[in-house]
Amino acid sequence: MSHPPDHGVSRRSFLKGSAVAGIASTGLTAATKAAAGPPVPDSFGPGEHEITLSVNGQKKKVKVETRTTLLDALRDRMDMTGAKKICDRGACGGCTVLVDDQPVNSCLMLAMDAVGSELRTVEGLANGDDAHPLVKNFVTCDALQCGFCTPGMVMSSLACLESRGKPTPEEMRRDLSGNLCRCGTYGRVMDAIDKTAKEGGK
Amino acid sequence: MTTPNPDASRNPTPRETQITVGYKALSPNQKDRLEKIKVNPAEGDAPPWDALTNYKTVGTDVDRIDGMQKATGRAKYAYDINFPDLQQAMILRAPIARGVLKSLNLEEARAMPGISAVVALKQEGSKVRMVGDAIAAVSGKTLDMVRDAIEKIRADYDKELHNVDYLMDEEAPMLTDDGDIDEDWPEDAKIDKALAGAKHTHSGTYRTEVQTHSSLESHGSTCRWDGNNLEVWSSTQATFGVRGELARALGARNIKVDSVDVHSEFVGGGFGSKFSAGIEGFACALLAHEAKLPVKLMLDRFEEHTTTGNRPSSLMQVRGGIDENGKITAWDWRSFGGCGFTGRGGAVRYPSYYMQGAATRRKHRDIACDTDPARSMRAPGYPQGWFGAEMFLDELAAKAGMDPLEFRLKNDSEAMRLDQWQFAAEKFGWEKARNRKNDPNARYVTGVGCASARWGQLGRHGGRRSRYGITCRIHPDGRVESRNGAQDIGTGLKTVLQILTAEELGIPASSVSGITGHTSDPLGPGSGGSTTTPSIAPAVRHAAWLAKKELIALVAKHMGVPEADVTCADGKVGTKDAKLDFAEACKLIGQTPIEVHGERYPNYRDRPFHPGVCGAQFAEVRVDTWTGEVQVTRMFGIQDCGLVIAKKLAESQVLGAMIQGVSYAVHEQRIMDQRSGRMLNGDFLRYKITGTKDLPELECYMHSVANGHNNTGAAGLGEPPSTASAAAIGNAVFHAIGSPVRHLPITPEKVLAAIASK
Repeated sequence: MSHPPDHGVSRRSFLKGSAVAGIASTGLTAATKAAAGPPVPDSFGPGEHEITLSVNGQKKKVKVETRTTLLDALRDRMDMTGAKKICDRGACGGCTVLVDDQPVNSCLMLAMDAVGSELRTVEGLANGDDAHPLVKNFVTCDALQCGFCTPGMVMSSLACLESRGKPTPEEMRRDLSGNLCRCGTYGRVMDAIDKTAKEGGK
Repeated sequence: MTTPNPDASRNPTPRETQITVGYKALSPNQKDRLEKIKVNPAEGDAPPWDALTNYKTVGTDVDRIDGMQKATGRAKYAYDINFPDLQQAMILRAPIARGVLKSLNLEEARAMPGISAVVALKQEGSKVRMVGDAIAAVSGKTLDMVRDAIEKIRADYDKELHNVDYLMDEEAPMLTDDGDIDEDWPEDAKIDKALAGAKHTHSGTYRTEVQTHSSLESHGSTCRWDGNNLEVWSSTQATFGVRGELARALGARNIKVDSVDVHSEFVGGGFGSKFSAGIEGFACALLAHEAKLPVKLMLDRFEEHTTTGNRPSSLMQVRGGIDENGKITAWDWRSFGGCGFTGRGGAVRYPSYYMQGAATRRKHRDIACDTDPARSMRAPGYPQGWFGAEMFLDELAAKAGMDPLEFRLKNDSEAMRLDQWQFAAEKFGWEKARNRKNDPNARYVTGVGCASARWGQLGRHGGRRSRYGITCRIHPDGRVESRNGAQDIGTGLKTVLQILTAEELGIPASSVSGITGHTSDPLGPGSGGSTTTPSIAPAVRHAAWLAKKELIALVAKHMGVPEADVTCADGKVGTKDAKLDFAEACKLIGQTPIEVHGERYPNYRDRPFHPGVCGAQFAEVRVDTWTGEVQVTRMFGIQDCGLVIAKKLAESQVLGAMIQGVSYAVHEQRIMDQRSGRMLNGDFLRYKITGTKDLPELECYMHSVANGHNNTGAAGLGEPPSTASAAAIGNAVFHAIGSPVRHLPITPEKVLAAIASK
């Protein structure tokens, strides 16, 4: 079973892999991230298991099934509902979180595969109304309407800023191309990124 | 002008007031369009604002009041409501497009681990009308457990023959190989004479495909019972509608309901699809009742695409003629709506202000097929009809050798839009762009096009029995709140409440909270047809005005001066000589805040400046003649909405409508599988909506107009800008490649076919 080095096993690649490898339904092999993170058991049976996730710098214990996605763990088990469930298939970017600084569709990642990684969610960007400059610029630029895509947009925009510093419009278009917005806020989202970059506040 | 007032007993003495309506010149080479009119505000209403009002906060760039909550992920949508012991839920959907539910066995599902409730939504023997018809619903500890249980429901069906393509229905007209309607026009002396006498005539058939609303928050709710009281967090455009609907539906199922409270503080889009609690809302309330636990039931993306309505497809044929001066003299229109199984909702409208002097005829027929029924979608019937009509105009102009803009200036009967056309054409650089010649051998060609925008919503004053209202409170610490029970679906209603209240009280917007989305607050409308802001704005003002009067009375008493000498403006309350800061004045209130109920009076019966709103849009496209791909590169839109209250937010709505227009013009199409009756692209991977890579350079201009139809003069903005965009883009493609693509979406294969047909 192969998987990208930083992201663990996606739900899709897992399903694909399991079909090929014919893994028995009684036990599953965990992703081999043990070296980097806290010790995890080698296999899990059906039912719930307690894992520890590092979210916004805090260690949090949470009970999940092997099939629980990171998105469901965050939203349903940890009441962190910033990341949104919109398509649940990695097509809209509404559930974007940063996993070891990389933007990831948390609906395509299993919660167990996030063990040992540093997770950053939109909730970590603000303390009350004292927020990251990018978040403030989303408001100033009115880069949101209904707001449902916004947390995902913010996280993809943050990754764009952090990795590129002063992104060009083309780079922004590319980095945000996985985030859908139905109200049509794209132009103003790019304004917010641009403003933040120019103010030096990545 | 006086007409008998049906509310005479309630508002005994109308007071005639003269106000100034209209707008200042849009550019130096235009004139001010200001005029004085007489209006009759009802006794007790706040005096009208007009074109001479000196606004401090209205029309400025106030930030969206709930922007920070949304951008930090703190905002709680229906989808985000969590409780201890919250149960997750799903609906079992019919896999067949037409037939009968023969048998339904829920027992095995009930026995599955973690399951708290299972309810039937269809009786054995009931008809199944579409793929996705709701059969039963299950709640349980986690969504995965619910999914396991859903798989254990035994449902058997008697399948019947289905049809999911309205053009295959026997009611549908035959089409030629070129896609034209192959049916003679019925004789009509007036039309036939006008066509015979025309200098140039033209005929064309136009088509659009089904578009799904694709709100990012799916339909659904979280329900919690406390005894016979039901509390619902619903993703809806009609909090009060959902309240009434659920109470009735549960009552009909013999479930005792003492009260229903609906909360929709944040709603992740609706676009016309979320007026009803729907089967999903009803199922959620039933499951929560049976489980005796709170339940959340939100649809998944496939359900969202296939069971919550859509903008239906359309087929339109126009023939028309113009005289030697380029004036339209004949307009013959017939259209067909491709609807779902109810056979309703497919009506198509066209911009009738172009053919005011012409002989016209209009016929429409809706055709049913075995799919999800149509629901209103942002300007229902308009983007379809505007595409057909505006493209027909460009084809007709081309035949007469006229510039499309010149042709519109000649035929558009709305004076306000004539100013807008000229202003927007200059801003866009129409003349230069339109006259630029493409190199005949170039791979990439560009073109520009334009289209008009129109809507007519000036707001309503209430439901059948009660008027809309606002609770306004001034607290002793100087904070002010303005509350209404309707929902802000992303348009910015809360910010509208904030700005209007701040303006009336003469205080900064930051001192005011606008709160919406709880049915415990005063009645408001469903957010459809651009009604919310124009309906509620006058009540916001009225409430703030009443609250201001109470504060003034307190200050007058405190100062020992007549109330008439006291003003509340610029953050101060007092007389010419002695003023208190607003916050100081509020300390006189004592412990209980000032609380008033503002009322939405009916619009003035006098004729306003304009009966609706106008706009115009211009688009530029680049077409790859090798691949047929269309990239929309640039758009400019001008739009009025009566009084522009929250400028930045209004612009966002217009820009967003233009992006949705790009999506409708070149991307979106529901694709049905005739064999299974199922939507083949019911997800965001294969149902393409516009993303950042498709984003044109966009600019819009908000045209604020003092319309004089009530104390505020706001008009609806949601729909109007969405009428024009796809039409302008279609015309730009026609200009670029020299032949029209008469069928949305303008996909590469259609572009290549149009180029080949030249």
